[in-house]
Amino acid sequence: MLERVKRKWYYSVIVSLLVLLIVIPFDWFPGHYTTIMVLIGINTMVTVGLCLLLGYTGQVSLGHAAFYGIGAYFSAVLSKTYHLNPWLAMLIAAIATGAFAYVIGYPIFRLKGNYLAVATLALGVIVYILFGKLAPGGPDGIAGIPNLSIGGFAFDTWFKRYFLVWGFCLVVLLISQNIVNSRSGRALRAIHGSEAAAESIGINVDRFKVKIFVLSCVYASLAGSLLAHSMAHISPSSFDPMVSVIVVVMAVMGGLASIWGAVFGAGIVVMLKHELLLGFGELEIIIYGLILMLVMIFMPEGLFVWLKSSYVKLKELYIRWRLGQIRRGAET
Amino acid sequence: MSESILETRGLSKAFGGLIAVDKVDMAVETGKITAIIGPNGAGKTTLFNLITGVYPASSGDIFFQGKPLKKEHAHTRATLGIARTFQNVLLFGNMTVLENIMTGQHPRSRYGFLESAFRLPKAHREEETISLNAMKYLNLVGLGMHAEQNALSLPLGQQKLLAIARALATEPKLVLLDEPGAGLNILEKRELSDLIHRIRDMGISVILVEHDMPLVMGIAEWVIVLDTGKKIAEGTAAQIQKDPKVIAAYLGEDED
Amino acid sequence: MSADQFVQYFISGLTMGSIYAIVGLGFTIIYAVTRIINFAQGEFVMLGGMLSFYLIKSAGIPLAPALILSVLITVVIGAIMYLLAIRTARHASVVSLIIITIGAAVFFRGIAGEIFPWGVDIVRPPYFTGSQSIAFLGAYVHPQAFWIIGTTVVVMILLHLFLTYTMVGKALKACAISPVSASMVGINPRTMALIAFTLAAALGGISGVVMAPLTLMSYSSGFMLGLKGFVAASIGGFKSPVATVIGGFTLGIVESLAVGIDWGPFTSAYKDVIAMTVLLLILLIRSGRLAEEERMS
Repeated sequence: MLERVKRKWYYSVIVSLLVLLIVIPFDWFPGHYTTIMVLIGINTMVTVGLCLLLGYTGQVSLGHAAFYGIGAYFSAVLSKTYHLNPWLAMLIAAIATGAFAYVIGYPIFRLKGNYLAVATLALGVIVYILFGKLAPGGPDGIAGIPNLSIGGFAFDTWFKRYFLVWGFCLVVLLISQNIVNSRSGRALRAIHGSEAAAESIGINVDRFKVKIFVLSCVYASLAGSLLAHSMAHISPSSFDPMVSVIVVVMAVMGGLASIWGAVFGAGIVVMLKHELLLGFGELEIIIYGLILMLVMIFMPEGLFVWLKSSYVKLKELYIRWRLGQIRRGAET
Repeated sequence: MSESILETRGLSKAFGGLIAVDKVDMAVETGKITAIIGPNGAGKTTLFNLITGVYPASSGDIFFQGKPLKKEHAHTRATLGIARTFQNVLLFGNMTVLENIMTGQHPRSRYGFLESAFRLPKAHREEETISLNAMKYLNLVGLGMHAEQNALSLPLGQQKLLAIARALATEPKLVLLDEPGAGLNILEKRELSDLIHRIRDMGISVILVEHDMPLVMGIAEWVIVLDTGKKIAEGTAAQIQKDPKVIAAYLGEDED
Repeated sequence: MSADQFVQYFISGLTMGSIYAIVGLGFTIIYAVTRIINFAQGEFVMLGGMLSFYLIKSAGIPLAPALILSVLITVVIGAIMYLLAIRTARHASVVSLIIITIGAAVFFRGIAGEIFPWGVDIVRPPYFTGSQSIAFLGAYVHPQAFWIIGTTVVVMILLHLFLTYTMVGKALKACAISPVSASMVGINPRTMALIAFTLAAALGGISGVVMAPLTLMSYSSGFMLGLKGFVAASIGGFKSPVATVIGGFTLGIVESLAVGIDWGPFTSAYKDVIAMTVLLLILLIRSGRLAEEERMS
């Protein structure tokens, strides 16, 4: 019974999201909203990856911008400099990022908590500096990255890219949702709950950490590739350590352990960044700082999840109040 | 004498200068309830941690069903058939009661990320079995009514039962219970000894560490006594109660 | 590299190393008392430096009082950070605390970029005592470098005296060894945590004030300085202040000499890459022991 109710809720969310996604980019929105929606989709993909790692498995990464950037740079260099098909470039980028994540995953996940946080931060700094020094284009980055296209159909407008990006994003969301509610997902949550207990029931803690790290980095890589092929221009500054922090902000807003919350978190932050706070200078990061502190202090399960549970509580209060009213009515 | 499911030879563990377990030789009979007792700091929990691979032994060997265990990781030992509970329970607080037990089925199922990501038929099939089995263990410990509750919302007594159910869900051959009776009331303790008997009757060997002497003497078919990391005696409950060395070890501290 | 050059690089390494050492001390003190890695530690340094420039240039306060005031304001900010952000989240998990201190760091950075009249530009407060370099063992040393190294030495001595001979210092040490036993003898761990944050903010503020004239400062300088201080603390193993200071000097000198050697394309900008690589290597080499420590605690 309960299972069915849950599933119904789950599908209704997907359906309403789909409807919303198809309706949103049409005329009645001013032009650059479509661009913003594309950016929300791309950022959602990175955030979902971090949620799987941070929210579900309890492992911090403060270097996710690095993998986002590696995906973008691989895509850009392979498709522009080596004239590879952009799809192939994207695939190679994802494989390369995944392989890199796998290789560093085993040593880095021997660290826990604070030390893991610092190690991933350091990794992010190294990769960021190397983008500026070793990658083609240096600090200016790479321009003129070709669009993705299917046959003769090129994703050359924001309107077309919107469907491309949200297509990818929805697949990523669904895959992640499926994983969370599966044997592997339970293993990940078990690691978050207690590593000792997880080991005691046969979960290979190290391997699961590395696997989810690889998946999370592949998401970031795909998002980076989509960014490169959509914006046509990338530079190191799109992947600086602050970007890693912003991904954490999005995850925190969404509710760390909530797949659909990532859409909410990415949505709010991208709106703040590209719409509301445009031209307000450093006000943006002041707000990020406040969000990180306030959410973690007062609603450690994340803003979106907190709103959801507050709604349930309010509904309960209302029902109780209504019941009281009815009872009183019956008495008189 | 019937064959032993678990055997240790000269098993030792030192933390820096402190020797927590000192050259313990023991054999645990298959299909029996064995209790390990001893005063506080005798090394009982450390011994459990060595058997389940939480940390490596400083020296000595462990054999499980005759096969050496020393090189196996903790998670492999669980897959081989050694399950355990913890003194501080360690339930997964981010899951429901049922999910906790379903997680226990981990070593008895196989499907991975790929099958779950795309909801392949294999995932469906296994998930069906997992939830059926989980319900079975849930009912075994009498928590069927609480399946959808958060695990940490249960009172301590039920949390401990849940931890046992989670361990059983790994379908072990040997289960190690670390102070299952601590914090339980008399009624719950009676249920617990009942449950331990049922586990034994399922063909699972049981080792328990326990401070509650009436509970131990009531159910244990073999008792091993540790003091300051060394095995000082073993025998049936009746033999142990008369052993002068055991009495001397316990005189050192207050009995509850 | 000639001997003169070596001395030159060595001294500039020592200078930067002093900074890393003081920042690292801030990390060590907070970590020892509260088991929190304070990701905002570098921002204290930035605030110290930026405030000193503001007070001298915009408010027109004379040098010495401006420096002292800058440190004091930083200290107050550190205390407020503890009281508002850390203390209110007492039962938070390690991950939550990491995110909270990162939030604080980002917040301070944003505030610094927003409230100071020169916005996000790089600033240089005046030197304490002129800019006439002094010949020293065949190298030329900027007087501000002597101020930096001198201040570090004085701060270290004062800190040592404080921890060894005052009641509060001893209480801090006791709390670092075992918060439980410390609270049993009447030491309030929360008061100690407040003192640790205050002390760390003071250390950060002092280093920011003395370094800013030589190394320049901007609202975004805190991040890297914080990380370097963390490297110093982790070379020292987060244990004793002395080990942290040695860690700071080691990092400073390694960085400086690495820049001095001609690496072809791997030139001066790779300083940060080297520091981060050192950090990663140390963490990975120590990972076995770190895991063991965490299991014990």
